[in-house]
Amino acid sequence: MKTDLTRKNLTCRKVFIAIGLLFASLQVQAAKSELNIYTYDSFVSEWGPGPQLKNIFEAQCDCSLNFIAVEDGVSILNRARIEGKKTKADVLLGLDNALIETARQQALVQPHSIDVGHLSPSLNWQDDTFVPFDYGYFAFIYDSNKIKKPATSLAQLIHSDAQVIYQDPRTSTPGQGLMTWMKAVYGDQAASQWQTLASHTVTVTKGWWEAYSMFLEGGSDYVLSYTTSPAYHVIAEEKTHYKAALFDEGHVAQVEVAAISRYSDKKELANQFLAFLISPEAQSIIPVTNWMLPVIDNAELPAAFDQLIEPKTIGFSPEVLAEKRSAWLREWRQAASR
Amino acid sequence: MRKIANNPSLNLSQKLGLSQKQPSSSLLSRCLSRCLPLAVGAAYGLILLMTGLAFYGLIGFDQARLQPELLVDPYILQILGFSLEQSILSALFSVALALPIARALHFIPQLQASKPAFLSLCLLSFVMPTLVLITGLVTLLGRSGVITPLLPDDWNLYGLNGILIAHIYLNTPLAVRVLSQQMSHIPDSSWRLAQQLGLSRWQQFTHVEWPALKPSLLMLLGFIFVLCFNSFSVVLALGGGPGSTTLEVAIYQALKYDFNLSEALTLAWLQFTLAGLIFALIARMGKLNWLSADTASQRLQPRLSTLSEWIHQTLYGLAWVILLLPILALLPAVFDASIAKLNINSLISAAGYSLALGLIAALIAMTLAWLLLIPIRQASLKRQENRRIIYQWLATHSLVAPAMVLSAGLYILLLPRIDLDRWGMVWLILINSVLLLPFIIAQLKPRLLQFDQQYSRLSENLHLNFTQKIQVIWPFVRPITLGSFALALLLALGDVAVFSIFGDSHYTTLPWLIYGYAGSYRMAEAAVASLILLSLCALLVYLFERNTSAKNKRKSTHG
Repeated sequence: MKTDLTRKNLTCRKVFIAIGLLFASLQVQAAKSELNIYTYDSFVSEWGPGPQLKNIFEAQCDCSLNFIAVEDGVSILNRARIEGKKTKADVLLGLDNALIETARQQALVQPHSIDVGHLSPSLNWQDDTFVPFDYGYFAFIYDSNKIKKPATSLAQLIHSDAQVIYQDPRTSTPGQGLMTWMKAVYGDQAASQWQTLASHTVTVTKGWWEAYSMFLEGGSDYVLSYTTSPAYHVIAEEKTHYKAALFDEGHVAQVEVAAISRYSDKKELANQFLAFLISPEAQSIIPVTNWMLPVIDNAELPAAFDQLIEPKTIGFSPEVLAEKRSAWLREWRQAASR
Repeated sequence: MRKIANNPSLNLSQKLGLSQKQPSSSLLSRCLSRCLPLAVGAAYGLILLMTGLAFYGLIGFDQARLQPELLVDPYILQILGFSLEQSILSALFSVALALPIARALHFIPQLQASKPAFLSLCLLSFVMPTLVLITGLVTLLGRSGVITPLLPDDWNLYGLNGILIAHIYLNTPLAVRVLSQQMSHIPDSSWRLAQQLGLSRWQQFTHVEWPALKPSLLMLLGFIFVLCFNSFSVVLALGGGPGSTTLEVAIYQALKYDFNLSEALTLAWLQFTLAGLIFALIARMGKLNWLSADTASQRLQPRLSTLSEWIHQTLYGLAWVILLLPILALLPAVFDASIAKLNINSLISAAGYSLALGLIAALIAMTLAWLLLIPIRQASLKRQENRRIIYQWLATHSLVAPAMVLSAGLYILLLPRIDLDRWGMVWLILINSVLLLPFIIAQLKPRLLQFDQQYSRLSENLHLNFTQKIQVIWPFVRPITLGSFALALLLALGDVAVFSIFGDSHYTTLPWLIYGYAGSYRMAEAAVASLILLSLCALLVYLFERNTSAKNKRKSTHG
């Protein structure tokens, strides 16, 4: 019996050693130089920018780019927050201007050391930690075959009887965008405007695509999306009748950013990647895969991008967004649920 | 099976005789019966630990605390009211509609030919991935839906309307299946007696059918109530605004952008307590009535009156149409998709991963369910009502524990401690298994308790060992075991909620692929993937139903 046990012990030990060796070999492979990037799912899907960017960057850096995808931008932030100093992330890619301040306050990021001088002057980018990689204006999309005279202002849309679908500001980025938009245009009067809008809102969806697919199936006259949405329909489907409505009051912009994780020990490689993100090469890929606008002026893009509306920008600083969000959300949920 | 029912002692001793020729198996069985209590303990330990850890995960991070002041917040009170309203209405409507359909299936001889197909369709409807159902409903009843012109001008799918329609669509079929099975268990002798006593058709209903159905009706009401009270995807998709929200959705919203753990925790406890209490109440009411285990051929079924038969038959016909419509509504979008754009490989591998993950989760859930049921059966045999209810509540508590808390809590707890990019799929499977438990247990339990009531004393007297017990019980529970396994597999196939947190993009499942397509403007591809998912479900339903009914038929011809 005793010999039996020792034999078992030995076999156990052999197995452990084998497993150990396996892990060790994995580690050796990994030691090559690996950059872990936290991002959101659609960025790395087969039709997103991820795969192309990975190929090009890996050829330049002699490293291996490791995308770790979570559901969306806010999940990247939450994951980094939960993991704290144990995080594997070197770069957080896919936060936006509404999340910048929280990421900074939670001390999840560190300053970069790249040159951002060639970013479009219109962005007026000053931040030393976050690097923008694309941006877009929120806009209401309509079908120009059905709507001949689209709304020309947010006020006109709110006080019309057109059927509208928008996204829940508690769960989606465009929803938060509309909330910001309402506050930027109406300030303290936003609550009553939400109520007026609620009277002809078809539904408030959890995320962007639920709203957008309902709209495409004829579920509403207008849907909240981005000014770039028509470009997708032109380029991928050769459909030109989906248009973004240009509003007099101006539009709120979403700027998507990347930053180096505070706990990354591969600063140099991470900086190299951030610089790559705003290179002309990457900037001509991101707009036609992520369907947003490039952050540099000389990116090569299909002609459809020249036909997009160019709105005036309004909105708030990341600091104000972070500070006011909860109060704005409460105001919205009270007003819109009546 | 019938053989056992007719002549149990003969059959048991035959089996006993058979097994005694194999001494090796009795050694194995002695070992097994000794390990069994340990395994039962481990099963209870596992499922309680998972819930416990989940709550601990929420509490432990960032000093989240209960916020009693939320309980008087007008918004929270409003969604609490709405949660209760929609779930009570959903449960009442589902059961009220199911009763006449189940009776039609039972009493109208002309419908017997289409009955198996209809019951299969019911199963498919109950497990239909909500994403697919919602797309179908929007195509039919949305603003530019096919049926919408026939509806009043102020019709709006979103809000209470849509939530009720989806919940009734999902749950009426469940109720039909349960009730129709229950009706077939009414013994012929009852009908004979009723006819001999000259009872009117109404009296037959109140004296024969009603007592047989009442416990099932109550259980169904409670079960559907809890399912709808905790409903997530349907409410999220069809709620239409912040007013029509359930607590489960509110928990998700609190966690998502605000990362407000305290609010999530408070809402979770509120939901857990309310749903838990209601579920415990039902567990108390839903006692098993004596029903014949297997009725022999049903020759003595009374007929319905002509008018009543017409009404029942019309309802049955309508049910066919209504259950099929959302599936047919998918087709036009599918024709829009260009085959060239489809990535066939990713569709096939997604279907493969879905099946593999579903199978493993269903197998684990089935094993856990059998183990968890052991103390429940013992308590039931010894007529220890309170003990039975406590065990039953513990075993199925994942039905009332907010699924959102289970996955989010475990995620928060495990993320800094375990490499979830490597081990996430293990947790995905485990969490899915625990979430499947209530459905399997609800199906297995009545049958096992029935077996115990009829044969446990006998098998005690015969001093059967473990293997022999299994040999005796297996033919009795085989169909329901396979059936509940299929149900679990089908439910697991539709999972998105857990995958969104623990999933690994290298093992994308079909529902996740659908979200992926839809999330990048590819609606037609999403429709194709939905249709594939639905066909896969339909195929599984067909395979399992054919398998179980074929075996039944063979058994009965032998008997």
